[in-house]
Amino acid sequence: MPVRRLAFSTLAALLAGTVLSFSASATEYPLQLHNCGHTLKFDKAPASVVTIGQAGTEMLYALGLGDKVAGTSLWFNAVQPRFKAVNDKVPRLADNDPSFESVIGKRPALVVSQFEWMVGKEGVVGTREQFHDLRIATYAMPSDCEGKNNLSGSDGTRTAAYDAHALYKSVQQLAQIFDVEARGKALVNELTQRQAKAVAELKSSKLQNVSAALWFSSADLAIDPYMAGQKGVAGYMLQTLGLRNIVTSAEEWPTVGWETIALANPSILIIARMDRRRFPADDYQKKLEFLKKDPVTQHMDAVKNNRIVIVDADALQGSIRMVDGMEQIAQAALRLQGAAR
Amino acid sequence: MLRLILLSTAALAVLAVAVQLGVAVGETRLSPTVVYQVLANQLAGAQYPVDPIDQGIVWNYRLARALVAASCGAGLAISGVILQSLLRNALAEPYLLGISAGASTGAVLVSVAGLGAGAISMTTGAFFGAVCAFALVALLAHAAGSGGLRNSAQIVLAGIAGSQLFNALTSLIITKSGSAEQARGIMFWLLGNLSGVRWGDTLLTAGVAVAGIAVCAWHARALDAFTFGSESAAALGVPVRRVQLVLLLVAALITAVMVSIVGAIGFVGLVIPHAARFMVGVRHRRLIPASALMGAVFLIAADVISRTLIPGQVLPIGVITALVGAPVFAGILLKGRGGRA
Repeated sequence: MPVRRLAFSTLAALLAGTVLSFSASATEYPLQLHNCGHTLKFDKAPASVVTIGQAGTEMLYALGLGDKVAGTSLWFNAVQPRFKAVNDKVPRLADNDPSFESVIGKRPALVVSQFEWMVGKEGVVGTREQFHDLRIATYAMPSDCEGKNNLSGSDGTRTAAYDAHALYKSVQQLAQIFDVEARGKALVNELTQRQAKAVAELKSSKLQNVSAALWFSSADLAIDPYMAGQKGVAGYMLQTLGLRNIVTSAEEWPTVGWETIALANPSILIIARMDRRRFPADDYQKKLEFLKKDPVTQHMDAVKNNRIVIVDADALQGSIRMVDGMEQIAQAALRLQGAAR
Repeated sequence: MLRLILLSTAALAVLAVAVQLGVAVGETRLSPTVVYQVLANQLAGAQYPVDPIDQGIVWNYRLARALVAASCGAGLAISGVILQSLLRNALAEPYLLGISAGASTGAVLVSVAGLGAGAISMTTGAFFGAVCAFALVALLAHAAGSGGLRNSAQIVLAGIAGSQLFNALTSLIITKSGSAEQARGIMFWLLGNLSGVRWGDTLLTAGVAVAGIAVCAWHARALDAFTFGSESAAALGVPVRRVQLVLLLVAALITAVMVSIVGAIGFVGLVIPHAARFMVGVRHRRLIPASALMGAVFLIAADVISRTLIPGQVLPIGVITALVGAPVFAGILLKGRGGRA
């Protein structure tokens, strides 16, 4: 039963947060951690770190570790405004994937990688062993390796649905590694509380079990769109908020035909707003225009009654921004309901 | 004359049946009654009460797509006939002139490198890329040969050089700046994708296909003359240079338009002319209409299969044309082995 499971997981997260806050203390070195199939050993907090992946970067900034970041890479969109000052002082190795040498050239003690396809068995930057041979520790964020097989499928295939506990685990583990456990606990508490609040607000409204679909973008305006699948981050967000995702595919961002979406006729349509302008559909205004003009989608309930929610694309990733996204969706959905009454 | 009318009617009937199939079968299930009612409403002014979404799906999505599939199949097939006859090479096909490679470069420039910042669609970019590539190949062939197509090897080699160049450019752009999502969008387009076509595209592709068939049919005698080489054709009174130029331009234009709208669908231009030759012989008066019809039916069938093979997922149509086309071609090859004059 999805509702029961979500209640349970929220409660568990809250409890975990509370329990852990009692045990916030300095890290005991030497520290041993299990991370995505490797055992990491730390004698002390790493002096410097290079990040590959915006999620890891912003997580370290949120933990107040900006001065330890020697280089960043793999950016999907602009850094969050509250981190801009810190980020400006940090050299950016690459907008996309960095080269192995540029990473080790910074002589970091630790490399934090958001994706296994960056640093992993078939890593574009290098394998974890390559870094370990040079006495550089690597931390792979659990959201990309737990319950996911990255050797199949173009984005990797999730064997288990994404769960926010992987996110909180990253925060806790990184805080532990850098001996800032108190800040880690505080961050996890803040995130879990905000998430629980968003979920509770929706729960008390009449929007439970309402059907929804999330449109990210499309390669061309009229072509099959990228929708949120069941097991990815966006799918997790919808499910936790108690919305029923009409897309049945288990993929993270499957392409689903408009035929299928129109016939499933979700009550709420969520569309992504982003700064990127690669595809015409990146512009959310163009998305709205398409929905209203296309001979099939204009008859969908969500479009006819203007039950369209707009959420930032950055907030749909497995990073600390995910909670922002859930808040945005919850608030917009509640406003819709308020307008309908 | 009577035979001609009978054959044309039979051909159109076959085409109509194929289009009906394309309309009735799709990624979601619509009952035949609904399909019939929608068509009756639109074509015969009937007043059946039909859900507007079903109406839109059948009329705007599926019918447009079936007609585009038919036009593309016909267009690519006769381009293949032209190239195989002019170059006197059984392995010649429309993409020999570098057109699909150029189209893919244009498409990735727009969607991955962000040229045009979302204002230009992939189709426009692809078309300009195709035209540039063809111009380059034509110039190269002209400069390499002593003018004219006396040596068809020059064209083939120039085409290979052009294709390789543009394919390399495509790879460069994708690997330098593409994310996994963009690479996926391009991959789908590179293998053929009919999901974004609407009535506007239908008018364009159908117009181009019909015009192309007309021009080809007009030059049927000239194409027959080319069977024995351009010198023999000249001796038979065919204005060699003019015909070569016109037909090559027609083939290039048809291919460029089709590829920019639906992506690079392979196998059709190569195999259908051979299959048609096995069925109706080598005289172009019969070969051209037969190729056009077979190409049209084949592509409609491939589109239907690509949508229904795996439930809930749409496969790229280029994969289906190759998977289906190769064994069929092998069968025809084996069957015709004994009876060839």
